[in-house]
Amino acid sequence: MKLYIHSSSAISPQPGFTDEGFPAQIRKPESNRFDVVEPEYREWIDPKLIRRMSRIIRMGVAAAKKSLQTAKLEMPDAIITGTAYGCLEDTGVFIQRMVEQGEEMLSPTAFIQSTHNTVAAQIALLLKCHNYNNTFVHRAFSFESALLDAALLLEENPRQKILVGAADEITSYSYDILSRFDIYKKNEEVGDKLIGSGTTGTIAGEGSAFFVISGEKNDQSISCIDDFASLYKPVDAGETEKFIIDFLKSSDTDIKNVDLILSGHNGDNKGDAIYDALQEKLFGGIPMRTFKNYCGEYPTAISFALWYASLLISENAKGSPKKILIWNHYKGTHHSLILLSAC
Amino acid sequence: MEKLMSDLKKQIIEQLNLQDVKPEDIGDDQPLFVEGLGLDSIDALELIVLLQQHYKIKISNAEDGPKVFRSVRTMAEYITTHQPSNA
Repeated sequence: MKLYIHSSSAISPQPGFTDEGFPAQIRKPESNRFDVVEPEYREWIDPKLIRRMSRIIRMGVAAAKKSLQTAKLEMPDAIITGTAYGCLEDTGVFIQRMVEQGEEMLSPTAFIQSTHNTVAAQIALLLKCHNYNNTFVHRAFSFESALLDAALLLEENPRQKILVGAADEITSYSYDILSRFDIYKKNEEVGDKLIGSGTTGTIAGEGSAFFVISGEKNDQSISCIDDFASLYKPVDAGETEKFIIDFLKSSDTDIKNVDLILSGHNGDNKGDAIYDALQEKLFGGIPMRTFKNYCGEYPTAISFALWYASLLISENAKGSPKKILIWNHYKGTHHSLILLSAC
Repeated sequence: MEKLMSDLKKQIIEQLNLQDVKPEDIGDDQPLFVEGLGLDSIDALELIVLLQQHYKIKISNAEDGPKVFRSVRTMAEYITTHQPSNA
């Protein structure tokens, strides 16, 4: 079934959280760590509550509130989030204090807020929303799982309006640990050189993106998810190719009608090779654009891609794409497709 | 007592991450919860940890909580009465 996006909002490494549309001045990564541009959270969250919130909670709650405000929705029928790492900062604080204080006299706040479902719970608490509330933690399929859950709910009741989103943060702990795996580039290989760098490694990213979606179109609808699918651990490029062909077939889409491919190139030449190979084979002649040069690599980065694609479609200007295929993979093991259309 | 209350105000601000609140903004007899400083039940847990960490005092009887944490002065009085001599 089609899922109509009524509003979208994202806090990302790009500026302009409160602006409409994609920022005119694109921010480029200056190092292999691409942190979000944090908005003035006091405009969105009661300062008394901010004092307890770690970064991921702030960015999740603020993006969710803006999305609800744009959709003029006070009480969503469900709140569904996806996160791979959860509230890492609070987890780090809690564990560090356990070590430093010999497992005694631990601060309760960091422990309480270290769980993966804190963002969805905080949104519900602020709204006093007792409706369905769920968080999916499935590594690089976390957002896709949240979206699938929302789709299943809307299949039963298309009139519902659901807040669905994702958030992941970089912390000093996670950056240091992930850096040991040698998955990030040297700093001189970022900026304009990231995509097509010809070297291995990528840049660490983070962000939150939230959407109000429904099974019914209304005047506010900005775009429409025609279909989405995921593939775990394809054995070779042939299986990935078949996955894409089958997806287009099942969604009754002729590739010639797709105006833009939004790909998850992240600058790692090994991981990007599959995009380049199949672009020529499957999408010859169709423009391809990348998004991880705007948000960095993280397991729920596809939520940023959906926000970006939705903005491109909703620009509604001459020449703006009417149908976008988002194709993302994370470390070659998690492939996802989202087909987005104008509505 | 004055020095202890001054220290407590700084420790409360730090422990509870009270942004934009300065020690001089907290009155000695100002209620800490609800209508006063606006603290809540999670803050109460943090204050219990604060007493243990800084003053080695455990509140064993939960019913003492509202009396002990009524204001900075009541906290200081409780500490003075209950602090172990070697703390």
